[in-house]
Amino acid sequence: MSQVVAVTDPAANRAQPDPEKRSPRFGTAFVAFMLPIIGLLVLWEIAVRSGLADATILPAPSMIAERAWTLLDPTHPGHGPLLGHIAVSLWRALASFVLACLVAIPIGFLLGLSPTAYGAFSPLLSLLLPLPAVAWTPIFLVAFGQGDLTIIAVCFLGAFFPVLYSTIQGVRGIGRHSLWVVYAMGATPLDVFHRVLLPGALPALISGLKLGMAHSWRTLVAAEMLAALTHGLGFMIFAARSYMDVSTMFVGIVCLAVIGMLIEHAVFGPLEAITIRRWHATGKVGGQR
Amino acid sequence: MSTETVDAAIVRPPLAQLGSSRAAILALRLGSIIVPLLLWELGARLGWINTFLFPPPSKILATLWSQSGPNGNPPWAIPIHVGRSLIRLLAGVALAVVIGTIAGVVIGLNRWARAILRPIISALMPVPTLAWTPVLLLVMGIDDRTTIFVVFLAAVFEMIYTIVAGIEMMNVKLFWVAESMGATRLQIFVRVIIPAIFPYLITGMRLGTGYAWRALIAAEMLAASSFGLGFMIYDASEYMNMDVIYGGVMLIAVLGFLLENVLIGRLESATTEKWGVQNER
Repeated sequence: MSQVVAVTDPAANRAQPDPEKRSPRFGTAFVAFMLPIIGLLVLWEIAVRSGLADATILPAPSMIAERAWTLLDPTHPGHGPLLGHIAVSLWRALASFVLACLVAIPIGFLLGLSPTAYGAFSPLLSLLLPLPAVAWTPIFLVAFGQGDLTIIAVCFLGAFFPVLYSTIQGVRGIGRHSLWVVYAMGATPLDVFHRVLLPGALPALISGLKLGMAHSWRTLVAAEMLAALTHGLGFMIFAARSYMDVSTMFVGIVCLAVIGMLIEHAVFGPLEAITIRRWHATGKVGGQR
Repeated sequence: MSTETVDAAIVRPPLAQLGSSRAAILALRLGSIIVPLLLWELGARLGWINTFLFPPPSKILATLWSQSGPNGNPPWAIPIHVGRSLIRLLAGVALAVVIGTIAGVVIGLNRWARAILRPIISALMPVPTLAWTPVLLLVMGIDDRTTIFVVFLAAVFEMIYTIVAGIEMMNVKLFWVAESMGATRLQIFVRVIIPAIFPYLITGMRLGTGYAWRALIAAEMLAASSFGLGFMIYDASEYMNMDVIYGGVMLIAVLGFLLENVLIGRLESATTEKWGVQNER
């Protein structure tokens, strides 16, 4: 049971601070949050301008911003390649994430419902779980060559295991008694799935989805560096290395961080809040005992 | 914090709650690894699957064995690769533990440090660790320093976060007691803070080592010049040497499993139980 609590708890906490956000203090908190970052950027800029830091290795924030602007400019010879890189990266990450969910969630429900199947597969899972998804890259490189297929396959594996594991934990966290009760009241299997299993497993499932997307995004960078032919943020960063173009690398790093953060907070944050608020009571009754 | 917590739950699979005898459970568990391998072997031998892409496990093990001995290319290749990977991991994680603990304690105890460092850390955290690799390659070159630094980056944020969480869970009265009895700052650090955050330190180490291991393999593919498991499998892919790739992947899986579950698990039970403190998780 402790595993399940660990999975659901942070999500439940996340749902709570919402009312505070609307209070006027949010503005001050935001300023207090941004101030050190801005201060660091200013110091960095000064260090580069005064020659303390080597601009060829650590370009100033203004140079990075300028490079980002050039990379976005559609009149530029490369037709503003940055947006293209971002779009390709997002497409790959999303495709592999969706595929991983389509495969992992049904398997997770099956393994979660059958203790025998779970017992049989858990050693294999615990061996494959700590295996870095990037380690599969050489195999896919030989099998598929460089390109989208290899990258998507690697990211798929990156997202697959977190989603699978959270689904299993979520389903296993649902008490056997609540299943018995619902069956005894004459529910069909479909009812049980819809009214008990899904709401009960949902908090863990959403955490798993979030984790899976985060893993997929993080794996993507490495996979793109190793296997991309033309596009993608990872490719952009790694290709910039050949030209010693550090500004472009930093543009890529900032994009990766910002998009990763947006996915986590702007997509999964609200999703978590909605689902948990809506099903929290059900989750408690069905999930805890 | 949510992703870290979920990872903590993930790396520790609960024991299967089977009612039957222990022997049956053991057989089932061993079977779940051995049966797929046997099927693979059989499929490869009988020609059902492409033996170039899926060489039979016996051949993979034979390659691993011959590469581990004096007849490998280079001699003793596997032990050297494994050793180099582990040394890099150890160096990076040790750095992360020391620096992460210091930073975590400072952030946890000092209001100004917290106000200044927290936003900076939360801005740096979402950057995928491996995205730093090309920059580090330019600064440090194709070198152990690059891989060690990537490992450090992968583990350090986790360390800082868990240590700060540990300090936040401490009771203020502990400080009052120690201070009123005339303890110096150093004494408070060694006698009060370190024991109190120890379980968190171990948790942070376990999570951090997990991230570090993943990052290390990828970093070795991108930045190692001669040795390391990541280098080994990436290099083998250029020669389409599937036995070596599969052997390396198997070694990476087994070592990762041992690192996360056995080594750190032992450390956890030895220290937290001995020190008489209970971990939240």
